[in-house]
Amino acid sequence: MPRNVQRLKETSLQTFKTLQSIAPMLFAVMGLVGIFETFVTPEMIHKIFNAHAIHDMLLATTAGAVSVGQPFLSYIIGGELLDEGISMYAVTAFILSFVTLGIIQIPLEFSIFGARFTIVRNLLSFLFAIVIAYMTTLSTSFLSGYFS
Amino acid sequence: MKEKEQMKNKTGYIMLLIVLGLYGILYFVHAGKTLQALEATFGVFKTVAPILLVVFFLMAFLNTFIDEKSVAKHLGDDSGFKGWFIALFGGVLSHGPGYIWYPMLQELRKKGALDGLIVAFLYARSIKLPWLPLMISYFGLTFTVVLTFYVLVGAFVQGIFAGKIMNEAKKDR
Repeated sequence: MPRNVQRLKETSLQTFKTLQSIAPMLFAVMGLVGIFETFVTPEMIHKIFNAHAIHDMLLATTAGAVSVGQPFLSYIIGGELLDEGISMYAVTAFILSFVTLGIIQIPLEFSIFGARFTIVRNLLSFLFAIVIAYMTTLSTSFLSGYFS
Repeated sequence: MKEKEQMKNKTGYIMLLIVLGLYGILYFVHAGKTLQALEATFGVFKTVAPILLVVFFLMAFLNTFIDEKSVAKHLGDDSGFKGWFIALFGGVLSHGPGYIWYPMLQELRKKGALDGLIVAFLYARSIKLPWLPLMISYFGLTFTVVLTFYVLVGAFVQGIFAGKIMNEAKKDR
């Protein structure tokens, strides 16, 4: 038991050092989140869509990747976009990329996991946001038609 | 290894200086909004701090009681279905912003956890259990169930792809 306590002390110190080494980058990311939350408004996101499905889906994925905030914000913006006639494909892609992609946390991801992991994961997440948005919208409209 | 660690520290400080510089410039352009941004940053910190504490204890626990052998067994090459189950449901249940979990996930990677499982964990995090009722109220039950299902399948498939790509890259080195 005392051996475990000694080990716990050592590993706690080691863990503290690890967190300390990423702290500056973590604070930088939080600082960027604050800037984006304040300066990038939902109105700005609205303005970039033009109701062409593929164009909107690609833009929505990018807009979601750039946006930051609590997930519910993406539902509110998504709901407003739907009301304005933006396709469900684009709205779903936006909701997905909002939580799975984060341009501003890429430097942190890069410094912790390395370049290859970060590039592979983000490219796949971008692609999957589009694929899943497409499949979800198709399946939802099929199921809604079936059950109504 | 130490050099790499120092480099990581240096990059972090440079990034922090850039962000502080950005705040400085923005303050001259739009003082009121910059102060709002600072408040928002403080809000993020308040949200993140308790989760960071949990991550700290999890990492310390992991490093004390879980060795490479058991990580390899549960999340390594031979982990099979159990590994995917842990990654997907761990992702769904994990809380807070994704970047808070990076250090712990990297510790697991170092101990032998598969890259594919880490990618699956991070993607499965897009299912936010506490926000599901709000999603249902905005987009309906059918949409929410279908999206949740595809995200889980997508996290699994993405994990497989990422694992294969990363393995190929390791072989080429």
